[in-house]
Parts: sequence; structure tokens; C-alpha cells
Amino acid sequence: MSRLLRVELRRLWARQITRWACVGVLALAAISGLAVYLSAPPPSAQEVANAQEMFAADQEAWETDGEQQVASCEADAEAEGRTPEEWGCDQMAPRLEYYLPPTQTFVPDATQQELMFGAEEVDADDDATAAAVEEIRGSVWNGWAGLASLDDVAVLLVLVALVVGVSFVTAEINSGSLGMWLTFEPRRQRVYWAKAAAAALGTVPLVLVGFALLVAASYAVYASFGTLGGLTGAVWLEVAAFTGRLVAAGAALAAVGVALGVLFKHAAAAVGVVGVVAWGSLVFGFGLGELQRWLPTTALTAWLQGGSVFSTERCTPSADGVFECLPVDHVVTTTQGGLTLLAVTAVLTLLAALVFRRRDVS
Amino acid sequence: MSVPGGGDLAIETRGLRKTYRSARGRSVGVEGLDLQVPVGGVHGFLGPNGSGKTTTIRMLLGLVRPDRGTATIFGHEVPRRLPEVVGRVGAIVESPKFFPAFSARRNLRLLADAIGAPTGRVDAVIDEVGLTGRSKDRYKGYSLGMKQRLAIAATLLKDPDLLIFDEPTNGLDPAGIREIRQTMRGLADQGKTVLVSSHILAEVEQIADTVSIVARGRLVAAGRVADLVGAGSAARSVRLRVAAPDLTIATSVLETGGLLVRREHDALVVDGAADAAQVNRALGERGVWVHELTPLQADLESVFLGLTAHETPGGHTHKGGRTKRGGPPPEPAHAAAQAPISEGEA
Repeated sequence: MSRLLRVELRRLWARQITRWACVGVLALAAISGLAVYLSAPPPSAQEVANAQEMFAADQEAWETDGEQQVASCEADAEAEGRTPEEWGCDQMAPRLEYYLPPTQTFVPDATQQELMFGAEEVDADDDATAAAVEEIRGSVWNGWAGLASLDDVAVLLVLVALVVGVSFVTAEINSGSLGMWLTFEPRRQRVYWAKAAAAALGTVPLVLVGFALLVAASYAVYASFGTLGGLTGAVWLEVAAFTGRLVAAGAALAAVGVALGVLFKHAAAAVGVVGVVAWGSLVFGFGLGELQRWLPTTALTAWLQGGSVFSTERCTPSADGVFECLPVDHVVTTTQGGLTLLAVTAVLTLLAALVFRRRDVS
Repeated sequence: MSVPGGGDLAIETRGLRKTYRSARGRSVGVEGLDLQVPVGGVHGFLGPNGSGKTTTIRMLLGLVRPDRGTATIFGHEVPRRLPEVVGRVGAIVESPKFFPAFSARRNLRLLADAIGAPTGRVDAVIDEVGLTGRSKDRYKGYSLGMKQRLAIAATLLKDPDLLIFDEPTNGLDPAGIREIRQTMRGLADQGKTVLVSSHILAEVEQIADTVSIVARGRLVAAGRVADLVGAGSAARSVRLRVAAPDLTIATSVLETGGLLVRREHDALVVDGAADAAQVNRALGERGVWVHELTPLQADLESVFLGLTAHETPGGHTHKGGRTKRGGPPPEPAHAAAQAPISEGEA
């Protein structure tokens, strides 16, 4: 490790904003744990008893007129030209899980999710894409509770890394101390790369420890409720892989923060640009059609969650001349998302390095 | 400025030029500056506000990129070969700038670590500038004088051969100004070269061995202080007092003799006399008796004002290759105002 990088790392960790970021991450983990504790308790004995009572009553009624209801369903299906299975006639019998309150688990339960939200349709052009869509949607990061709720919070950690990176250089530029620094080390390329590397490396512990605390808090709460779900070694491996990708994303965004800080010179401007890009992507992204694939937000989601699904609309004229629009699912793989992030980071970093080398320092 | 025998120069610039672009056009910061700073001693870098002093210093330190011209520090071309010589240069550009939330010690430790200076050096320079008791305080709580002292401490971390101070006494109280002045003189007496830019003439005159005067980005005079002041005194001025009723007669007598006379309160100032005796003799022959006769010594300030009287601060703006005033920049007066600096004299 170069002397300059060591110095920059020491400066990064001595900065107030880095210390506040640590406090913020601790608070985030605590609030996240509290939120899980308040929102994910398993059904009480009374709720289970009530559900069982209602189930028993409906079961009794089903035994009386169930066959008649099925027959009626099958007749309706036939009238519509569908099979009874397509019409759901085989699913009409009461089942206890329909009556029990949903139980959130540390490892998201696909069955629970389907019961709550129904099965998501896949609108892919080919089998490979359809399989990829199903795999992504079936990931532990795409449920509605437990680990799946952590990935959204984890994005905050990489944003913290970005802000730390932005502030790392803009504070130096605005205080004028960069000029003093360059009178000690005038090789600007070295100075820039040391700053970018320090931001990238220095935020690794922040993101890593932050996410570990989030997972630990969530695990502890679910374990205390006895609702860990299907926690297997494979799930822990996926958590480890996610952590690795998160740390890499945090390092990249910290370097992006340094680059934006150099390019815009003011923290508010640099963070504002990131905010506008993120907001614009979320609000207007759908209108971009297939170009959504290249949005930084799509790439970050794909990289973190092991793939991302986005939809476009395909409109075709029907026989009566009216356009009929159907959704089409597309997949951005982890690798594609990672490469896009890498490309954005590399372009911004090289541009900033060039500007840093040429710009007059006041 | 000539350096007989090609003597050692700490700093040399040739045709250095820097312009700044803005919505109003192109503003010239430095216009073809030829500067020579001999090794050793204090060299005053004088000029009105906006005359290009700070821009020149920034170019020497690689903070600003010149449009044209060359600059060397101890013979090393800068900014290209600045890394080879930066260890011998300590500089404070304008006001001291450190990380506000860090203590003085932490600020210096970071700088010391960046150049590989031993930790003990930090304590030594803090002690040297008298900040030992406050070294753990945050920089943002420092007074201007303390900030200035810390900046000097930072420059000393490298134990440099050349120290560049840009307006080092701005905002300081008289005691602080004196302290900084003594520090600079002391450093020069240790054999270091001190370049101090300032627009406060009295300050520079007291400590500088040589000076360069710039105006509108160009060198207008350079040389040893004594030589410049002497050149300014070449045409003698004399202040005299006579009895009040004789003032009019004395004025008439002297003007008739081809001298320039002006009234200063109850005295007359006579310019252009060969010496005081000529004035005394002329008046005595006409029966006007002089009560007081004082030869006036030119000071650096009068030299400076004479050279820069027509210059306006803030640089000048070109549009379409012409000055805003409608003509090219004036020719520098340095050919007439330069005094030689011989090797080893400064």
C-alpha cells in the first residue's frame, strides 16, 4: 500500500462525516431490527384458534355442498372454453393456510407470498428468459419479508459510501486544503488515484459491518420468534455472495462519489445529480423501453439481487384495428448489471482523473 | 535582471503568461513575466492587488497551468519536473488552508506522512512556531495569527531551501506582522531563500534584500532594494523651510533657477536639484535665509508608486485580442528600472 494511500485512508477515517456515517449505520441496523420486531411477530395463539375455528366451519359447509360448488365451477369453465384446472375448480376446497394470518420468516416463504399476492405471471419471449425470470423472482431477495426486505436497506449502505466519497474530495476542494496538499505532492494522478482508492477501500468496513449488523439484527428477531423459515447452508452462501456484491458496489459507488465530487466540486451538486438520475430512472424508466437495461438503477439491482427483471410493452394491432398492448419481461443478469456498474465507474473515474490533472487549483 | 556569471537562481521565469477565461472575455493574470530570484536572502515580490503575484506563485507550484513561458525552481523546469524539487520548496499561497475539523497536529501529521517526514519533525515544527500548547485544538478555532504560524510550520516540515510566502501578513495585528517578519528574516539568515509577495511596501523594505515589482502581470522593476531606492533618489529632492513671508519669493527664485517646487504645508519641496547646497546658495544670493534644509531620501514605496501609479488592480480584459482599454498592454519599464544583482550579493 502506497504511503499516499495510507495517509488518505487515515484522513478518511478521521473525518467527522465518516464517523457520523458509522453512527448512522448503527442506527439503521437498530431501526431495522426494531421494525422487524414490530412487524413480523408470528400469529398469536388466539389468532390461530380463530383461524382454525373459521376453517372448521367452512370445512363443514364444504362437506355439505362442496361437490355442488365444484360442479358449478366446472360448468362455468366449460362455458368459457377453459379446463376446470385453469378455472381453479380444484383449488376450491378450504385449506387451513388460507385462514391462518401470514407468517413472515427470515428466509422468505414463496408459498406464503403466493397466498398473499397471488402467482406472478411470466411474460417472456422465450423459455430461457422465462426460466431466468422465475429464478430471479424465486430468489430470497425478492420476497416480501425477512432477507428480502434487507436488500432495500442495503442499498442505503452503498449510498452512504457514495456520499462519503463525494464529501471526501469536495471538503478538500472547498476548504482550499487541496492546494496545500498539492504543494507537498504535486503528482496529481497519484493524488487522485490515492483518493479514489482510499474512498473505495475505506468504505468497505462501513458497508460490510453495516450489512452484517442488519442481517444479525434481523436473524436475532426472527430466531426469537422461531420463524427462521427454511434456513439452509445454501441460503447462507447466498447471503455471503450478496454481501460480497454489496461491498463491491459500495466500493464502486465511493469511487464514483470521488469522481463526481471532483467533476462538480460541490457536494450538494454531486449528490443532487445522483438523486436526479435515481429519481428519473424510477419515475420515467418504464418509458425508456428496452433502454432500461442500461440504467444505473437497473444495473445496481441486478448486481445486488442476482439479476433483475424489467418489463416493456409490446403493442400490436388486433383484427378490429385496435392496438393491444401486452407486457414483455426482460432479464438483466448479475454479470450484465456488474459490467454496467463497472463501466459507469470507470468512465466517471477516468474523466475525473483527467479533469483533476488539468484543472487549475484555487 | 542580470546575473553575472550565470549565478544560481532559486526561481526563474521567462515569458510566463496566464489568462483566465470568463463570460466577460479573457482576463490576463500574468503577461510575459520574466522573474529571477537569486539563491539566498529575502526577495520581495511586489505589486498592486491583481498584478499577478499569486497567479505567478501558483504557476511555480504547479497549481495553475501557464499558457506560455517557462519557469524553473533550482534549475528544474516546473511544473513538469516539480516532483523532483518539491521537497526543497515550502509554500503558503494566500491564506493558510488546512482541514478545518482536524487539529493542528493531525493536519501536520498527514502532511508529514505524505512526504515521509518523521513524526518527531511535526513536534519540532509545532514547537518552532510556538503552537505546542494549542496543537490539539481544531484548526477552525484558530486565530488568523495562529493559522499563519501553523502554515509556516507546515512549510518547515520539509526543511526546505526555498520558502514562498504569499501575502503572509494579511489580516495580522502589528505583533503578528512583526513576528512573521522576524521569522522570514531568520529563515533567510539560516541560508534559505525566501520569496515573499506583498503589496505592503514597508513590510518588504525592512526585510528584503532584493525585490521584483510587477504590475499588470509584467515585471516593471527588479534589483536590490538599496539600488532601486538609490535610483529613485538620483534626482535629489530637498525639503526646506523659510520665514512665511519669504515663501513666495523662495518659490519664484527656485523656479527661475529651473527647479520644480511644490508647497507642502509650511514647507517647500524642491525636485531636480543637484544637491541641497545648490538650493541654499540660490536662496542666499537673493537674501532668503533658510531655517531648515533636509535632503529627501526616496523609499521603496515612492519607487513602487512611481512605477505602478498608472496601473489598475484586477488584471485587464482582452476581447478579440485587444485590451479592454482599446490598445495593447503597455511596455514594461523594467529596462530602465532594473538594477543588477551580482552573484553572491543577494
